Amino acid sequence: MAVASLAQAGAEFAPHGEVDQLYAETRDLRLLGFLMFLVSDVVLFSSFIFAYLYLRNSGQGWPPPGIGRPDVALAALNSAVLFGSGATMHYALENWKHGKFTRYAAFMIATIILGILFLSGQAVEYTKLYFQEHVSWAGSGIFGASFFTLTGMHGFHVFVGVWYLIVLLLQSVHGVYSKDKYFGLTAGTLYWHFVDVIWVVLFSIFYLI
Amino acid sequence: MIESRRPDVHLGRGFWMATAIYAILSIAAIAYWSVTPLSQWLPAASNTATEIDRFTRFLLAAGSALFIFVAGYVIYFAFAFRRRPTDPPDAIGVQVHGSHRLEFAWTFGAAAFVVLLSVISVAIWYGVEFQSTPGLVVEAIGHQWYYTFRYPGINGEVTQEMHVPVDTPLTVNVTSADVIHSFWVPGLRIKADMVPGLINTMHFVATRVGRYPIICTEFCGTLHGQMNKQVFVVDSKADFQKWYRDWQIKNAHVSNALPAAPGGGASGIDLSKGVATAGKALFAQKCSACHAIAPFEHRIVGPGLLGVLHDPKHPNLVNGKPATPADVAQILLNGYDGSMGHMPNATQNGLSAQDIANLVAYLETLK
Amino acid sequence: MAVAAAHVGGIADHIHPEPQGFIRKYIFSLDHKIIGIQYLVTGFVFFVLAGLLAEIIRVQLMHANGGFVSADTYNEVYSIHGSAMVWLVVIPLLTGGFGNLVMPIMIGARDVAFPWLNMLSFWIFPISGLMLFSSFLMGAPVAGWTEYPPMSLQAQGFGTSMWALAIFLVGVSSTLTGMNFLVTMLKMRAPGMTFTRMPLFVWGQLATAPLLMVATTALAAALAALFMERVFGVPFYDPTKGGSPILWQHMFWFYSHPAVYIMILPGFGIISEVLSTFSRKPPFGYRMIAFSSMAIALFGFMVWAHHMFVAGIAPFLQLPFMVLTYAIAVPTGVKIFSWIATLWGGSLRLTTAMLFAIGFLILFTLGGISGVFLAAIPFDMHTNGTYFVVAHFHYVLVGGSLMSIFAGMYYWFPKMAGRLLNEALGKLHFWLFTLGFNGTFLPMHWLGFMGMPRRVATYDPQFQFWNQFESISSFVMTLGILIFFANVLWSIKYGKKSGPNPWGGRTLEWMIASPPPYYNFKHIPKVFARPYDYSQPLPYKGLEEELTTAKPEPVPAGAH
Repeated sequence: MAVASLAQAGAEFAPHGEVDQLYAETRDLRLLGFLMFLVSDVVLFSSFIFAYLYLRNSGQGWPPPGIGRPDVALAALNSAVLFGSGATMHYALENWKHGKFTRYAAFMIATIILGILFLSGQAVEYTKLYFQEHVSWAGSGIFGASFFTLTGMHGFHVFVGVWYLIVLLLQSVHGVYSKDKYFGLTAGTLYWHFVDVIWVVLFSIFYLI
Repeated sequence: MIESRRPDVHLGRGFWMATAIYAILSIAAIAYWSVTPLSQWLPAASNTATEIDRFTRFLLAAGSALFIFVAGYVIYFAFAFRRRPTDPPDAIGVQVHGSHRLEFAWTFGAAAFVVLLSVISVAIWYGVEFQSTPGLVVEAIGHQWYYTFRYPGINGEVTQEMHVPVDTPLTVNVTSADVIHSFWVPGLRIKADMVPGLINTMHFVATRVGRYPIICTEFCGTLHGQMNKQVFVVDSKADFQKWYRDWQIKNAHVSNALPAAPGGGASGIDLSKGVATAGKALFAQKCSACHAIAPFEHRIVGPGLLGVLHDPKHPNLVNGKPATPADVAQILLNGYDGSMGHMPNATQNGLSAQDIANLVAYLETLK
Repeated sequence: MAVAAAHVGGIADHIHPEPQGFIRKYIFSLDHKIIGIQYLVTGFVFFVLAGLLAEIIRVQLMHANGGFVSADTYNEVYSIHGSAMVWLVVIPLLTGGFGNLVMPIMIGARDVAFPWLNMLSFWIFPISGLMLFSSFLMGAPVAGWTEYPPMSLQAQGFGTSMWALAIFLVGVSSTLTGMNFLVTMLKMRAPGMTFTRMPLFVWGQLATAPLLMVATTALAAALAALFMERVFGVPFYDPTKGGSPILWQHMFWFYSHPAVYIMILPGFGIISEVLSTFSRKPPFGYRMIAFSSMAIALFGFMVWAHHMFVAGIAPFLQLPFMVLTYAIAVPTGVKIFSWIATLWGGSLRLTTAMLFAIGFLILFTLGGISGVFLAAIPFDMHTNGTYFVVAHFHYVLVGGSLMSIFAGMYYWFPKMAGRLLNEALGKLHFWLFTLGFNGTFLPMHWLGFMGMPRRVATYDPQFQFWNQFESISSFVMTLGILIFFANVLWSIKYGKKSGPNPWGGRTLEWMIASPPPYYNFKHIPKVFARPYDYSQPLPYKGLEEELTTAKPEPVPAGAH
């Protein structure tokens, strides 16, 4: 039945004509505003990343005594999942722009599932760290503090992102967007790529160096 | 863009008269600051103070001249160009949009002054920061809300006054036992923040005998405003020796380390059987959270331990003499509780006698 | 007769229906002008509260061992005084207040880019202010507006954590305003208004908006970390757990230095407008004034550690911060010289707004000079943490920012209210304020050099005479400020009617009625030159119907 309603939505999904000037201008404003929101979010992460690098460099040796190097293998797998979801998100938007609704929907769902998979992977990582290595947020010095704060912030952004994508998918099913007017989908894609880029940095500074 | 027609502008007589007056006042100000020692108001009792005062007078001279011209022109123009009641109600000013030459001149002038100021400041700063002779090394520790001091050769801490000999190179290391304080002696123009977990260092030579208040300038709690009662005393060399002797005697039986740990502790430490590689691994596991292999100032919780057994500059904590392997073993065994903080003893750290020997062997390799 | 829209098109051409009802019009308004007034009113309310705290400080300091308040209370008082003045007064008045009120009209727009976000930004502000002041009830923060750990970790009670929450929240408001303004100025200028035809007040806001956006988020991170450490024990700053107090200083000052430029750049813009209008000549060196604002904004990010010269950062790090801080004196000096040259050859109307602008030139310069003194590490080594620093920042923030705020009030009050502020009271305000201000803060330079530290409830008796002098002067200053408020309250109802353009201004806000209609312009004008040549006709086309009584036809919803 869900497939039927999706197909119905796809049938109603017809290309419109050129967008009017008002829509174009409004979209430009919103795009710039959204990019600025992302810039400001980057600054937020950068500040905590600075704090982590500063503390890590303060001479106590790394990794701190009693804490082994974090397990790269699981995190690498998780990263692949997240980067994969970035690719699926990209294709979702591309298919939308070309009017291919079912393919768009498939890629969107794939992105959402991969996002949830990433969050599950993080949950596994957190469980390992807490129960096996006895690393906690407040009780493990600056390693626990910076690791859980930064990955937690990132995980929260992914969590919000997954909900955002679900809402976008539902909205698109209900015909909120058209082939020419789809700013929400653009914003969602940008946000999702932002989340990916942040993870590249976090993965490098916690697992690689 | 509107083309501005070249307006008929010229600087009138009033302008030049004002300029001349300001120039004269500026020259007077510069002359005044050139000859007026700041020490007539506040003693300048160190080599650092003399440098800083000279620099301050340069800043005062330049600042006065600039302010005289700025305030002077503002006030003069406000008077000279105000609309008179006889002027038409829609009178406008000279529609000049700018002057490339003038703007270039003042931009270049400001930039040139900044370059001059930078060169002079860097020279003075370098002289103040990088005085190379370590000389007498003294430590000052900030507490809520008082200072204590530590001297080589005096056990425990010196309280109340901080004495130093005149005309002797000094190195003062400061830190804090609790929150951030600051160690300021206005009469010597020296200041460093006392940050827990860090050791900040000042180098200077006190040049005038006298008594100078020590004042805390970093908010440190309820009685921050009362942390100004202690005195930095510059003594003649003879007086200093006497004061130093008195404290040595007074603190003769004060120990820098805790008494032997409960449970006896591992008294069978054989330092000759220490294995440095085992000590290195142990260090990484148990010590590196609080100690860095870095110079003494590089303090995490405890001081850096590079050169602890070799560098005569490295302060000792046990008996006032350069640290020997036995001294280090004693601290590892009994722990330490003093101005440098608190270090757990061997039982609390889970160190066996062999562990201690290994650690000492490792520390010996750190030059 | 209804005025038809010239053509159906983009955002600029659409006029939404007039908001109905008191709540939509004045409480939850989307109109940038109403929001601007809301910011001004709220900001001045907090100004009175923070000023009251200042007078508590001055009464306590009249006696070297004063007992007016306990030391703990005194520490709470100045901490909230500083925090409120920075985050609840100066920043909101200059950005949310004047920025909202005037900037969109000056660029020929109907509103900001995101009016709903604008309304949200405003309402966060009084809520966060209430939160900040509520900290008095739970053990207010005591370590100044800078709240250095470990002291700020040590403080008992929830007050310091509440402080962190309140400032975090008002920071969100700031960040949103910055984003809103930046998009507005980049994208919504009237046709023909290139960047070099924008008024200098807009340039001031353009330089400030990126600072609001970027720097404030860095503070949010620092505050969040402090809160997490206080409430959950997560170690960032506590040295006994591997953290670093110096880390806080880096993170805090990375924001707070740009913050001081947030607090002055819009003020610079106000000064340019006021000086030009009341000299009846263009600002001298428009391009350099505009460019120097951007340069100051950029350099402002590179100098934060000059607050940390004695804290224990490595010598090789100290040096570039010193030199870069000196370098900021160049664009700042260029502005001062340009403004003085603006006065030269003018036909000066010495209205109250003009007096405040002229006073600004002198007092801000003095504050700038003492700033150069402090930028020099050898001098800072002696005066850091003393009253010399207190003198410096009060000269730039009160003699600078606050004077520019007063100038802006006398200048734009008629635009908001349709009535003029009383000039006689205004002049009285100016002279009492200026005299009182200098008497309060000039001696502090001397006191700091001679050994009086800051943040002390009691001090060495040798400083008592000047402290008493300062306290009495502060009462004179306060009297001037009270006269200002009386003037505002009286003039709202009884002030002389101003008409649309009482000052003969040439920027777009003066081309429409006072107070302006909700839609600003019936027709968005075309701009073909900079507004500042007083010998030329106005450089706008299409404003013929703005001051007529014809009402525009609202375009149906869906346009927004």
